[in-house]
Amino acid sequence: MTASRRPAPAASTLPAFEPDADHVTDHLQITGARKSFGGTEVLKGVDLTVAQGRTTAIVGASGSGKTTLLRLIAGFEAPDAGSVSLDGVEVAGPSGWLPAHKRSVGYVAQDGALFPHLSVGQNIAFGLPLRGRAAASRVAELLEMVSMEPSYAKRKPSELSGGQQQRVALARALARQPELMLLDEPFSALDAGLRVATRRAVSKTLSDAGVTTILVTHDQAEALSFADQVAVMRDGRLAQIGSPFVVYTRPSDRATAEFLGDAVILEAWMEGSLALCSLGGIPVRRPPVQGRVHLMLRPEQIRISEGGKIRGHVVDTDYFGPETTVRIQLAPIAVDPLHPADPHQPVGGEVINIRHWNAMLARPGTELSLKVVGEGVVFPWDG
Amino acid sequence: MYSSPSTTAARAPRAANRRNAAGGRGTRSGPWAVVALSILIAAFSLLPLGYVAVMTGNAGWGTIEKLVFRPRVGELLLNTLGLVVITVPVCVVLGIAGAWLVERTRLRGHKIWAVLLAAPLAIPAFVNSYAWVSAVPSLGGLFGGVLISVLSYFPLVYIPVAAVLSRMDPALEQSGSSLGLGPWKVFFRVVLPQLRLASAGGALLVSLHLLAEYGAFAMIQFDTFTTAIYDQYRSTFNGAAANMLASVLVLFCLLLLLGESKVRGNARYARVGSGVQANPPRLALGRLEIPAQAGLAVLTALALGLPLFHVFRWLVVGGPGIWSGSALANAVLQTLVYGLVGALVTTVLAFPLAFLAVRHPGPVTKLLEGANYISSSMPGIVVALALVTISIHNMPGIYQTAVVLVAAYAMLFMPRALVNLRAGLAQAPKELDEAAQALGKPPLLAFMRVTLRLTAPAAAGGAALVFLGIMNELTATLLLAPNGTQTLATEFWSLSSEINYTGAAPYALLMILLSAPMTYLLFAESKKAAGQ
Repeated sequence: MTASRRPAPAASTLPAFEPDADHVTDHLQITGARKSFGGTEVLKGVDLTVAQGRTTAIVGASGSGKTTLLRLIAGFEAPDAGSVSLDGVEVAGPSGWLPAHKRSVGYVAQDGALFPHLSVGQNIAFGLPLRGRAAASRVAELLEMVSMEPSYAKRKPSELSGGQQQRVALARALARQPELMLLDEPFSALDAGLRVATRRAVSKTLSDAGVTTILVTHDQAEALSFADQVAVMRDGRLAQIGSPFVVYTRPSDRATAEFLGDAVILEAWMEGSLALCSLGGIPVRRPPVQGRVHLMLRPEQIRISEGGKIRGHVVDTDYFGPETTVRIQLAPIAVDPLHPADPHQPVGGEVINIRHWNAMLARPGTELSLKVVGEGVVFPWDG
Repeated sequence: MYSSPSTTAARAPRAANRRNAAGGRGTRSGPWAVVALSILIAAFSLLPLGYVAVMTGNAGWGTIEKLVFRPRVGELLLNTLGLVVITVPVCVVLGIAGAWLVERTRLRGHKIWAVLLAAPLAIPAFVNSYAWVSAVPSLGGLFGGVLISVLSYFPLVYIPVAAVLSRMDPALEQSGSSLGLGPWKVFFRVVLPQLRLASAGGALLVSLHLLAEYGAFAMIQFDTFTTAIYDQYRSTFNGAAANMLASVLVLFCLLLLLGESKVRGNARYARVGSGVQANPPRLALGRLEIPAQAGLAVLTALALGLPLFHVFRWLVVGGPGIWSGSALANAVLQTLVYGLVGALVTTVLAFPLAFLAVRHPGPVTKLLEGANYISSSMPGIVVALALVTISIHNMPGIYQTAVVLVAAYAMLFMPRALVNLRAGLAQAPKELDEAAQALGKPPLLAFMRVTLRLTAPAAAGGAALVFLGIMNELTATLLLAPNGTQTLATEFWSLSSEINYTGAAPYALLMILLSAPMTYLLFAESKKAAGQ
């Protein structure tokens, strides 16, 4: 893992989201959005900006408020406070509220929400002002756009597989050429193999059409692979917004780090730009604090290496096929004879998870030597 | 840099504490309009109950004592209670035994038996009574009442129990077997307890029918509260006495509802899971096959064969002459018009309640549903009595018009529409409406093109059941219909009251023929609904 090649201040955002970027390219702007249901505050002040033609994933656990945020953008709900603007025009806020059917926003629901009483063609043509032959040719065009044969137009939604239903739902939403497309967990009902293929197809269709896209998902891998901006939602707030690479490798807090993937968290002592821990001195870019900290590394940063300085033995393993999670207890570290009284010295003995492709290597009890690749991230010590 | 939120978030101005003008839009206003409408409808359906309560309250204790505590009431009490106490257990035993034979044994011809056991529901109880009086002119008393009631109403237990038996998870029975229980012990210790809700629901329906039935018992001159209220009202127009009897009747209904809800408790139908179900195991009957076949044959002969035989016998006796004249055509036409208008009005009134129940479940909705459930359990005679008095005193303009009669039909049959609409609305999730809105359709248009369209088949099914109820409704129609109204049921009734059994036969046949397809619909629907 190497650090971003860009200078540090810009590292947490993509160029399109630079503060000095032209305002006109902001397609969607949400400011201080709040929403309560029956006394429970679901959104506690959300600010989000999405640039024209970009793909943003809002990722969070269930109940974090991400679907509510999407519904505010779609116009199914009105915010209690704050505002939503599309192309610089306020569609929800103090000046009024524009209902869903008057916004140029496409929406694909979790299960596709195809109308069961209409054929595929009628579903796609539902929002079109066209009738007859004009509608039929547009439907064929849209089906082609989502890589489906025109003959599907005559079928009923119930005759389609889950992935096909999602693609029809996308075609239906694209029919009105919306400027903004909202996807509410559209892949979660599909099984694993189909999910990846459908996600790729949808992603390609949308980027070919140049539509600004917002995807809501609870699946961090989906968010990281789909979007060029990831917004992590937690407890009604956006905890972090940035590129997939940045939010994964430099999460802004420990909860975000653990939500976005497996994390190795170790007690460490921050001195300058080095974090001292049982894995040695780990470089940290622009640490927020000095002294006692939590150090976060991703498991794939810790490698098994002949002649590595850090030693440990295998406790047990979880075999997943292509890779194996190996639990390793780090060897105790002898007291540094030069500074015997240094209270900040690492003592070793922690148990960490790493990943390795070779399950044979990691029989319980095996002694291993390890090395750390790349930089770590530190969070303030919270006891 | 790690600890600060990204620049995108930091740049946006804070507007958190400003309240939005449109804050309540979109989600809240809709339900409140529907809630208000539903409260009006629930209040409307509570009129009969409220009427009885007010009348009883106004009467004062002296009047109540004088009118209620007298030998005549004691006699009616004995008759009515005896009828319920004997008929209901017999119906439960017959219903469960029939359902078990049809659904769980290798009985020969079980598919045909399954339909034949539900079929008696297509014969209105008062037509059944007419046939039995034709066969055994001396039939009467408690025995006659029980006989006719059992034969007319046991399908009300059979249908729900059969539906549950056919959908019950076989895994439970297999667990029972694996724990060392033999087939009979499995039936009594595993299967039977699971039938509790279905049979309690069926038993409640039978009891309510027994309390409400007028024609079947009047025909064999067996007096119950309902026949007595009718006679009292017709002979003397004595409101007070009829009202007091009605309040005792209502008290019984409420006690029955309470009893059933105690049995039901918070329990639900056992199997909620989805997915394809394996067929439940069927037991070989062996030597019991012949007695089982014989038992079912006798039951069917009495409940279905005998009434049909006598209806046809009268038709043959009457010859072609009984079909002539405009009376029959007129009755068919009036029945169709009342049935269609009543079904439409009832379905429309039920819609807001069903909508609320599915889309906005909550305490208010529960209360409204409960109110509707109680009010629709009121016997037709009580509804009629209430509407007569209320229309005379408060709205003389509509007294003895079709408006009052249709209102009574709506009160009596709303649950049939409600149950179906609820099931239909559950098939039309809110997300579909929203998808239509996101495709540029205004909310009302989206609602009509998606939700209403998707609910239409279920609404039609519910309307058909309401239609069936209206077609065979006698008591309220007799009391409330405008002068000159002739429906199939009232014409049948007036002809058979004049002992013109041959003249009544075509009406009986038409009621049976019109009821048959909808009875089948009810039977088929119950199988689908049992898993929910």
